Amino acid sequence: MKRKLVLILALCLALGLFLSGCSSNADKGDKNQPPAGTDTSWQEIQDKGYFVVGLDDAFPPMGFRDEKNEIVGFDIDLAKEAAKRMGVDVKFQPISWDAKVEELDSGNIDVIWNGLTITEERQKQMLFTAPYIQDRQIIVVLPDSDIKTKADLAGKKIGIQAASSAVDAVEADKATYELIKDKLLEFDSNDLAMRDLKGGGLQAVVVDEVVGRYYISKHPNEYRVLEENFGVEDFGVGLRLGDKTFHAELEKALNAMKADGKAAEISQKWFGEDIIKK
Amino acid sequence: MDYVLTLMPSMLKGWTVTLQIFFIVLIFALPLGVIMGIARLSTFKPLAWFMELYVWLFRGTPLLLQLLFWYFGLMAVGLRLEREMAVYVAFVLNYAAYLAEIFRSGIQSIDKGQYEAADVLGLNRKQTMSQIVLPQVFKRVMPPIGNEVINLVKDTALVYIIAMSELSRAARIHAVRDENLIPFAIAAVFYLLMTAIVQQFFKWLESKLDYYR
Repeated sequence: MKRKLVLILALCLALGLFLSGCSSNADKGDKNQPPAGTDTSWQEIQDKGYFVVGLDDAFPPMGFRDEKNEIVGFDIDLAKEAAKRMGVDVKFQPISWDAKVEELDSGNIDVIWNGLTITEERQKQMLFTAPYIQDRQIIVVLPDSDIKTKADLAGKKIGIQAASSAVDAVEADKATYELIKDKLLEFDSNDLAMRDLKGGGLQAVVVDEVVGRYYISKHPNEYRVLEENFGVEDFGVGLRLGDKTFHAELEKALNAMKADGKAAEISQKWFGEDIIKK
Repeated sequence: MDYVLTLMPSMLKGWTVTLQIFFIVLIFALPLGVIMGIARLSTFKPLAWFMELYVWLFRGTPLLLQLLFWYFGLMAVGLRLEREMAVYVAFVLNYAAYLAEIFRSGIQSIDKGQYEAADVLGLNRKQTMSQIVLPQVFKRVMPPIGNEVINLVKDTALVYIIAMSELSRAARIHAVRDENLIPFAIAAVFYLLMTAIVQQFFKWLESKLDYYR
């Protein structure tokens, strides 16, 4: 009997802890959307002394881990430079890409900075900076492939990263999408799709230009990029909808980096050319 | 609710892929597991050793890596299995290793006296195995087999790695595209439905096999 009582008490305690944990999270959530005019987000970042960048750490060349397991990449360099100019530190937090909005809203991270495509859908959930890169959705085939145009893709097996903006771009091209939708294979990551293409399991891969060019530069002469593509899109940094003052500061730093050529320099380092959108 | 309905076509399509993998793997892995379990106890030592090595290899590495091996690994050396075939090979060989261990332990749990009694009655080894030992083994191993079968329901989610769109993959695609976590909850309900059926089936099977008690 006594043992049972102890068990019940322990359960109550556990439940209590769980619930109190939940409610404190909720408090934090409220703080993220203060009424207009009382936004203290920049003040909070300054008090903290740093802001947290959420990213997928397996997304070369934007953000990934080097041989020493340190997070490096084009976006990482940009974020560090921006933080330096804003007079604060920056921390990098790998997140699950599936739950990025939840991570942002819960306050675990302050920005999403990771080749994030600006879409209408996302603009309802986040506050975006001005675009800093323009990206195309390119079509990659093997060098000896007979595929020359989008029309040639009909009936071919085509690889694409699941739930990526490449999927949206292909779907938006209705005429082509009708030709290929039955043979579109969604991969977990672009490198597996590229590998499958090389091994003969696919006839083409649709991929972000920044990512595709990075893989191709690692395996020269093994792939060919078609002239045609699936349209352009913009990359921006995503912030919480309410963080107006922080957004203004970040935007100021980014603009300064674009103006004095520092952003162009970082672009040269990662892509071999200046692809910064002014 | 409307949102949930819009998810259904692709979730159901993913679900049929999940079910197809589940049944095909089960049909091939179960008998293979029995044979391997018996081979593991063979008096022909090289065979027993080979089986031990096999079990170590296939039970000792993650199924995800085995999937990558059968598809991308073979591809790298110029052999190419079709996507579905790579999945079936990987799952059947992996599950057979686990099942072999379960059947082996089941066979070893049968009292030595029964073999002696069968010998006295003039049964040969094959008859002893098929008529006396295995029927009892099947009764005893049902609970751990049920465990493995339920694991299989959930392990089918791993095939996403070679771009097969099964149930949880379909959920994930929606979750990311719509920036919404509800599809995962729906996938969970689908899995619970499947495991509920498996669980009830094994409950029924165990009661059916509960004769001589």
